[in-house]
Amino acid sequence: MIKLRLTVLIAIALLSQLAGADILLIVNAKNSLNQLEKKQVVDLYMGRVSVFPNQQPAQIFDMREGSALRENFYKLLTGKSEAQIDAYWATLLFAGKMSPPKQISREQDVIDIIKNNPAGIAYVRKQNLPPGLKVVLEITDSHVQ
Amino acid sequence: MFNKITLNSLHIKVTLSVATATLLVMLVSVQIFYKTTYKKSYEESERSVRQLLDTVETTAAISAYVGNKELANQVIQGLLKNDTVVGVKITGNGKKLGEAGTGIAQISKTVHFELKAPFNPTETIGELVVIPNISLIDKRASEAAAATTINLAAQAMFILLAVMFLVYKLMTSPLLRLSQTLHLIAPGDEKNLDIPEANRKDELGQLVRDINSLLSTVNKVLGEERQLRHRVEALEHRFRGIFEDSSAGIFLMREDGSLVTANQAFFNLMGITANDSEPNSVFNVYTAGFSESDQLRGLVKLALVGQRACSADLKTFNPNTNTRWVHCIFSPAGENQQQKVIEGVMYDITQRKFTEERTKELAEKDILTGLANRQAADTLMRDLVQRVHRQQGNFVVMLCDLDRFKYINDTHGHDAGDWVLKVVAERLRKRVRASDLVARLGGDEFFIILANTDNTHKAADIAQAILRDHQELIEVQPGFKEQIGMSIGIAAFNPQEDTESSVRKHADKAMYAVKRKGKNGYAIYCADADTEVHIL
Repeated sequence: MIKLRLTVLIAIALLSQLAGADILLIVNAKNSLNQLEKKQVVDLYMGRVSVFPNQQPAQIFDMREGSALRENFYKLLTGKSEAQIDAYWATLLFAGKMSPPKQISREQDVIDIIKNNPAGIAYVRKQNLPPGLKVVLEITDSHVQ
Repeated sequence: MFNKITLNSLHIKVTLSVATATLLVMLVSVQIFYKTTYKKSYEESERSVRQLLDTVETTAAISAYVGNKELANQVIQGLLKNDTVVGVKITGNGKKLGEAGTGIAQISKTVHFELKAPFNPTETIGELVVIPNISLIDKRASEAAAATTINLAAQAMFILLAVMFLVYKLMTSPLLRLSQTLHLIAPGDEKNLDIPEANRKDELGQLVRDINSLLSTVNKVLGEERQLRHRVEALEHRFRGIFEDSSAGIFLMREDGSLVTANQAFFNLMGITANDSEPNSVFNVYTAGFSESDQLRGLVKLALVGQRACSADLKTFNPNTNTRWVHCIFSPAGENQQQKVIEGVMYDITQRKFTEERTKELAEKDILTGLANRQAADTLMRDLVQRVHRQQGNFVVMLCDLDRFKYINDTHGHDAGDWVLKVVAERLRKRVRASDLVARLGGDEFFIILANTDNTHKAADIAQAILRDHQELIEVQPGFKEQIGMSIGIAAFNPQEDTESSVRKHADKAMYAVKRKGKNGYAIYCADADTEVHIL
């Protein structure tokens, strides 16, 4: 519990650091998809769908639990806290057959994974991306702006 | 006893009314209460179902969102554990995710719950359909309603009993007591009702006070009435005594003569014994035994017409008793059965009447001869003159004087004279009718009045017969016989000229004419010519 609380505190600190930071949803450059709607992203990340709108299978990558980016991402995407998202997944996990997206510890690893995985999708802080990646959605922190 | 039943029935009436009203109110309110309670209970059940659904909403929404049948089934099984739910179905994205319990298709009464997307409340992603356990909900609602209703009915029953008891205690019972007490009181008892202590200040107390004042008024009035009645009775007794014991006959008769009532004295006077005085109405006064019933009728009519008392002396006749004279006073006395009523009072004057007649007889009789005397002659003359003036006939007078009476008196004595007078009187009386009058005016002077005739010739015939009679000798003393001559003067009454005394003078003149011509004859007075004297 103490750890969780610490995490929250750090997240809040990071969030304030990252204030104004936008999040980019990225896919492999080979992916035929050019654009995703926010809702489509939600469906993908919340396990409703496992394919892209073009019916290509999708592999969804999440950030490690407790990272400021993850917290921020879900907040911006669904309006829910990280804890709520975890509870959501816990419900589904308990029911069986469903599991949350695979968590990656470092942002750089995520970029690498997507670069090599044509079915992958992940989110990163807004930054200059290396080639082989495609931004399908940019989520802006409307609250801070 | 009657009162008790009435009051009992009053109590029953009140009780029944209260009970009926209470039952009615109860019936209506119980129905309303049952319905509202049932509805409320039902709604509550529905709400609880809905609340139940609220608790699983998120999970159900998630299962619908991700199309997870396992999660959906978990939700469904969880819901089915509730006894208010008998069937659940979850659909997500148009697909059935799970269904359990009673078939939803068969049951119309379902609760539909839209499932929103967990991350987008505006998007409906599925439906949670629940079949509530209607029979259970219904049963619970019924039970709740029944409990409320029974509660209510029990309350109403208690209130009803309380009202009945209080009505009995506070109203019926005091009224019953009051009624029983009042029942035992008869008017005139001088008794009063006691005011119940508890009701001293309420309407019942007022009622008792009013009854008491009414009772005292009744008592007073009754007392006065009683006194009055005693007085009237005493008075009636006295008057009845006067009526019944009176020696005067008192009676009431109708105009037609029928008797209304009469006292004993009346029947005694009429010579009728009380026993054969049949029903009064059969008895007729007019035909009861008055000698002159016409006079009686006239008297009654006079009393009625004149509206005043009329009286007369009337003669009664009765085969059983002697003739009586009664003095009757008739006076009008109102009406009875459309007939005028006359009051009559009569008393016996027979004795007085006889005395009167005797006196009159004595006054008008010549004692020696038994003939009428001068007064009687005068009276009759007066009557006859009046009758002449009423054109009711005429009369003739004869004056007779004995020729040798003084001689006989002197020679043979007064007894002989008296004897002669008696014989002459007898002879004269024999020659005239009963309606005529023979009077001795005094001494040897006789006077005859022939009523109802003006025929002097007839008078002459009578005179001749008288003179013939006197040719027979009279034995004045034993062995001595004498002839008595007579001078007779006749005069007819002349209605135009004569008076009582003038006609007598005329007779006198005629008589003296006979005396002058030699006695023992008669003469008829004639105004114009000389009187013609006939000597026997």
